[in-house]
Amino acid sequence: MNRRQLLAAIGLAAVAPLALAQSFSGKTVTIIVGYKPGGGYDATARMLARHLPKHIPGRPAVIVQNMPGANSVIAANHLYNVAKPDGLTIGTFNRNLPIAQLTGVEGVKYDITKFAWIGSAANESTILAIRADLPYKTFEELRKAKEQVVIGSTGPGANTHDFPLLLKDLLGVNLKIVSGYSSSADIMLAVERKEVDGRAGSYTSLLPFIERKLVRPIVRARTTEPGIDQLPVDESFAPNPKAKAIMALRSAPEQVARPYVLPPKTPPEIVKVMREAFAKAISDPEMVAEGKKAKNELEYTPGDQAQKILVEVMNQPKDIVQEFAKYIKFGE
Amino acid sequence: MARKASLALAVLILLAAGYAVFAAKGWQWKAALFPLAIGIPLFCLAAIEIAWTLAAKEAPEEPAPNPALPWAWMIAFLALIVLLGFPIAVAVFMLVYLKAQAKEGWLFSIVLTAAVWGAFYGLFDMMLHLPFPAGWLFEWLGLA
Amino acid sequence: MLEALWEGLLLVLQWKAFGFMLLGIGLGFWVGLLPGLGGATTLALMLPFIYTMQPVEAFAFLLGMHAVVATTGDITSVLFGLPGEATSAATVVDGYAMTKKGEAGRALGAALASSLVGAIVGAVALAAAIPVVRPLVLTFGSPELFMLAIVGLAFIASLSGEGTRGMVRGFIAAGLGLLLATVGQDPQAGVARFTFDTLYLWQGLDLVPVLVGIFAIPEIIDLFVRGNSIAGNAPPGKVAKGAWEGVKDTYRHFWLTIRCSLIGTFIGIMPGLGGSVAQWMAYGHAAQSAKTPEERKQFGQGDVRGVLGPGAANNSKEGGSLIPTVAFGVPGSTSMAILLGGFLLLGLIPGPDMLTKHVAVTYSMVWTIVIANVITVAVCFLFLDRLAGITEVKGHRLIPVILVLVYIGSYTSNSHYGDLLVTLFFGGMGYLMVRAGWARAPFVLGLVLGKIAENYLYISTARYDAAWLTRPVVLVLIAIALAVIAYPFFQARRRG
Repeated sequence: MNRRQLLAAIGLAAVAPLALAQSFSGKTVTIIVGYKPGGGYDATARMLARHLPKHIPGRPAVIVQNMPGANSVIAANHLYNVAKPDGLTIGTFNRNLPIAQLTGVEGVKYDITKFAWIGSAANESTILAIRADLPYKTFEELRKAKEQVVIGSTGPGANTHDFPLLLKDLLGVNLKIVSGYSSSADIMLAVERKEVDGRAGSYTSLLPFIERKLVRPIVRARTTEPGIDQLPVDESFAPNPKAKAIMALRSAPEQVARPYVLPPKTPPEIVKVMREAFAKAISDPEMVAEGKKAKNELEYTPGDQAQKILVEVMNQPKDIVQEFAKYIKFGE
Repeated sequence: MARKASLALAVLILLAAGYAVFAAKGWQWKAALFPLAIGIPLFCLAAIEIAWTLAAKEAPEEPAPNPALPWAWMIAFLALIVLLGFPIAVAVFMLVYLKAQAKEGWLFSIVLTAAVWGAFYGLFDMMLHLPFPAGWLFEWLGLA
Repeated sequence: MLEALWEGLLLVLQWKAFGFMLLGIGLGFWVGLLPGLGGATTLALMLPFIYTMQPVEAFAFLLGMHAVVATTGDITSVLFGLPGEATSAATVVDGYAMTKKGEAGRALGAALASSLVGAIVGAVALAAAIPVVRPLVLTFGSPELFMLAIVGLAFIASLSGEGTRGMVRGFIAAGLGLLLATVGQDPQAGVARFTFDTLYLWQGLDLVPVLVGIFAIPEIIDLFVRGNSIAGNAPPGKVAKGAWEGVKDTYRHFWLTIRCSLIGTFIGIMPGLGGSVAQWMAYGHAAQSAKTPEERKQFGQGDVRGVLGPGAANNSKEGGSLIPTVAFGVPGSTSMAILLGGFLLLGLIPGPDMLTKHVAVTYSMVWTIVIANVITVAVCFLFLDRLAGITEVKGHRLIPVILVLVYIGSYTSNSHYGDLLVTLFFGGMGYLMVRAGWARAPFVLGLVLGKIAENYLYISTARYDAAWLTRPVVLVLIAIALAVIAYPFFQARRRG
C-alpha cells in the first residue's frame, strides 16, 4: 500500500465514528418486541430503551414497539425479511426461536444464525423447586421417591413444562406433569394449595418463594448463577450421550436468554457500534441500580458468542434433533 | 329477513361445527377432546335449529333495509388502511366520507378530519409508537 | 384494623400522593373512554415513570388510573355501542339500547352511579376480606375454578332469548363461542388447533377485536341506514334530562346493584377467571330479576337493570382482583400482572407481609379506589348532559369517527391487520344475529370461558382423577349451576 492510500485509510478510520454519529443523530432506533407490553421481554426492552441513547454515538431516541403474535415468530419473520438493515431497527424475541427453527415449525421464515447478533441482555438459569415440606431434600432423594411428585406447568414450550418433562422421561424421576395453568404465578398458588408439589422455572422468578421457604430448589440446568451453584445439574445424570445432548439442547437457548438482533446483512460497523452500546449500557451503574430494583438484572453476552451457541444448536445431528422433537415442542 | 338470517347463521354454524369435528378427529385425544365434546352437540343443535326454521311459517315482517352501502364503506376503509397505511387512510376516509356520504361542507369536513387525525396521530403514533406499516401502494411505487 | 384503615386514608391524603392520584385519574379517564387504549397496555407504559416515586405515591397514580378505566369504559359503551374496554362490553347491550330510545343521560347516570357503588363494594370487600382472604383463595382450587366456569356458563340460560327456541339458540351461540375459544395452540399437547396454517391464529382469537366487531358494527350499519342521529327516534328534549333519573334507578334497584357488585367482587377474587366474566354473570343475574316474560323481553331493548348489573360488577371486580394480587402475588388479569410488576419495583413483596406488616399500604389502595371513583363520577356528572348531547348529532357525522375508533381499537391488540379482518368478520356475524333476533351475550360468554373451562378440567382430572367431583365446594357449585340453569324455567312455570 503506498503512502497516499495509507493516509486515505487513516483519514477514513478517523472519520468513520463521526460518520456513524452523523448517521444516528436525530434518528430514532426502534426495538421491536415479540410480545405484548407487560412481560419480561418487554420490560427488559423498555429498560434498555431508557439507557441506550447516551451510549450510541449521535444520541438517537430509542423507542419500543410491540409486535406480538405466534410466540414472537411474527416479529422474528418481520426482522428477518422486512426490516431494513440500517441499524434503526433492533429486535428481541422468544429465546426458544432456535428450537422452532430446528424442529421445523411451520411459518418460520428466518434463519436464527443469519441475524446480525448484538447479543443477549441476560442469562437465565432454570431450576426445579418442590414444596419445602416434602421429605425430599436432594435430587437423589427425589429420584428414589416412591410417591409421584406433581409438577404444575403452563404448557409445552415453556421451561415450566420442558425441564421437568426431560427429568421424567430421560432420567426416570417419578414426576407427574399437570399442564394448563395460565401463568407461573398461578402454579405457585397451586403449590400453596397443595394442588401441585412444585414447579420448574427461572431462578429469579422462584427466588421470592424460596426465600419465603415455600419451595426448595432441587436440581438445575447447565446455566448457573450465585445461589444455585451447589445444585446438581440435570445433564450429569444422563444415562447416555443422546439423553445428555437432548438436555443440553433444551437448555442452550437459556444462555441467550434475552436475544437482541439486527436484521441480516446489517453493515459490520453498525453491528459493532450496537454491541458496544449494549455492553456499555448494561454495565452503566444507573442501569444496574434500576435492574436490581426491578429484580431484572442484566448481563451482556456479546453477539459473536451468542451466534456461536446458536450455530452449535443448529448443527446438531439429525438423529438427536429427531429424538429431541419427540419430547420438546415449540410453544411459549 | 329474520328467518333468512336465522337460517344463514344456523347453516354457517353447522358447517363450522362439522369442520371442527372433522379436523379434531386427527389430533391426539388431549387436544381433540374439548373440540369434539362441543362440536358434536353443536352440530346437532344447529341441525335442529335449521329444521325448526324451515318448518316454521314465514311470519310477515317489514323488509330490512339494505346494508350493502355501509358494508361497502367499512370494507373500503379497510382497503384504504392496507393500501395507504393507517394514518393516511384515516385522513382520506374521513374526508371522503364526510363529503360524499354525509354531504357536509368543506369547512366542517376538513376541521373534523384534522381534529380526529391529529388526536389519532398524537396518541397512537407519537405517544404509543404503534407500528403502522407503510401502505402497499407506497411499497409498489417504491416510496416506502 | 381500624388503626390501619385510618393510617391508609392519611397516606392517600398527603399532597404528593393525592396529586399523583389526580394525574392517574386524568389519564385513566381517557384510557377507559377510548377503545384501543387498554388499561393493561397503558399501565405497562406508565411503569417506568414510577421508579422514582414512593410506594404510596406510585400506587395512588397507578391505581387512580386503573380504578377509573372500568368506570369511563362504560361511557363509550352507552353512547356509541362500542365497548371502551373488554370489561365494558355487557354495558353495551342495554346501555346503547337505552341511548337509542333517547335515554342516554339516564343510562350514563345509571352506569356511573352503579360503577361507584360497585367500586365501593369492591373496596370494602378488599378491606374486610384481608383477614380471611388467604384461606378463602386457598380453598378454591382448580376443580372449584372449573365449576365456577360452569356456573358462569349456566348463566347462558338466563342470557338467551325467550322460550325454548331462544334457549336453543343461546346454547348454539355459546357452543360456537366455546368452540372458537379452542383456536390456537393447546396447552396440553401443543397442537395448533384450527389455525389454518396462519401464524396469526396461533395464539387464538383476541377478545377485543371480536367484541368490537360483534357489538359495534351492527350498530354502525343500523345508524347508517336510519340516517338520523343515535337517539333519532326518541322525542326531542328527553336526552339530557336523564342523568339524575339514572342515579335514582340505582337507588330503586339497590339490592340488585349490591348483589351484582358482590358477584363482581367474588369473581375478581378468584384468580384465573379473567376480567371479562363478571360483567356477563352480573348481566345474567340482572335479567333473572325480571318478574314477567314481558319484563324479560325488555332486556336487550333498554332495561336500566341491564346497565346497573354490569356497571357495578366491572368496577367491584377491580377491588376483588387486587386481593389475590396483593395477598399471593397471583394476578387475576393482565392489568393486575402489571400492577404486580409495579409492586416488585417498589420493593413490596406480595404475600402475607402485605396483609400484616404493610397492611396500611394495602388499605391506602382501598381508599384510592374509593376516592378515585368518587372524583371521577362527580366530574363526569358535571358534563354528562354535554356527553349525552352527542347522541343528538347527525349520525353520518359520527359514523366516520366511530369507525376510526373501531378499527384502531381493534388494531392495538396485536398491531396486526388480521385483527381488522376479525372485527369485520364478527361484525358480519353480529349483524346476522341482530337480524335473526339471536342474543349475542351467550356467544361472548362461551368465548371468554372456553379456555378456562378446558384448562381447569384437564388440571383437575390429571391431578385428582375423578375424585374432584366429590369435593364439598364443588358439590355446592354444581348445585348453584343447576339452580341458575333451572331458574328461568322455574320462573316461567310460576307465571304460567
